Amino acid sequence: MSTSGESHRWIRLIEPACTSCMICARECPSWCISIDSHTEPVEGLPRGARERTRNVLDRFAIDWSLCMYCGICVEECPYDALEWVGALTEPGPSSESLVEEMVQAAVGGHERQEKI
Amino acid sequence: MTEVLPEDWLAAVEALKRDGFDYFDWLGCVDEIGRRECFRIVLVVRNLGGGAEPRMLSCSLPRDHPRIASVAAVFAGAAWHEREVSELFGVDFLGGERRRLLLSPDFEGTPLRKDEVLAARTGMDWPGAKEPGESDAVPGRRRMVPPGVPEPAVWGDRDSSQPAAEPAEVAESAVGGRVRRRRT
Repeated sequence: MSTSGESHRWIRLIEPACTSCMICARECPSWCISIDSHTEPVEGLPRGARERTRNVLDRFAIDWSLCMYCGICVEECPYDALEWVGALTEPGPSSESLVEEMVQAAVGGHERQEKI
Repeated sequence: MTEVLPEDWLAAVEALKRDGFDYFDWLGCVDEIGRRECFRIVLVVRNLGGGAEPRMLSCSLPRDHPRIASVAAVFAGAAWHEREVSELFGVDFLGGERRRLLLSPDFEGTPLRKDEVLAARTGMDWPGAKEPGESDAVPGRRRMVPPGVPEPAVWGDRDSSQPAAEPAEVAESAVGGRVRRRRT
């Protein structure tokens, strides 16, 4: 992981902790976080229990051309699903290429980049 | 905090300086829209040697024509604060420095007034408009609006037979959050 001196360079999603609650996307002052999600029924509930649904994250993307590294998303996440890491974000030839897809459920979507 | 009238502002600051509060700390402004139709100017001075509590002066200026005497002749350091308040709130400091401090010369608007709309954002898709479990923002539900962007019924998509929204209504609507149900 990172040392404290160089930890303010990239924000990583800890996918299992994310509940798609949208709080980070709403708190972001520069509107750089995009989230798509859908709901699925929870299976394996005891007989007679009320049906429940849970949110499933389909897409989580940060546009590094907009992000100003304020860290409000990291601070606000109630599930600690975002964290600072020391690696730098990838440079790119155009502003569109700076959109990093951290989760992409669609078939054919590029693999999540492992940077650490 | 001592409240003074706009016409007594300069004299009150001079009197504090004579009384030994000769260290200027800061000057700021609060847009009190929604409570009162005014801007509140606040000035804090300290007496560094005497151990006295800092003194705070406040003055209310009408929102439609905010003007007050500059105190830059008393405390030269206040000029920066006055220039900042002047460009961010549109308050006129009579006899003060007129140059801009932070904003570019061609910038129009008064960004810290609470009824200032982030107009460029009203036409953009806000990522936070979706609800958890959604991939597309569904219209017709109690939607979220981002801070700085009033709900369309107040600003932008207002019923053209209605007069333009009052500044207080724009300010109340632009704090972000859930679009409130409107009585019809």
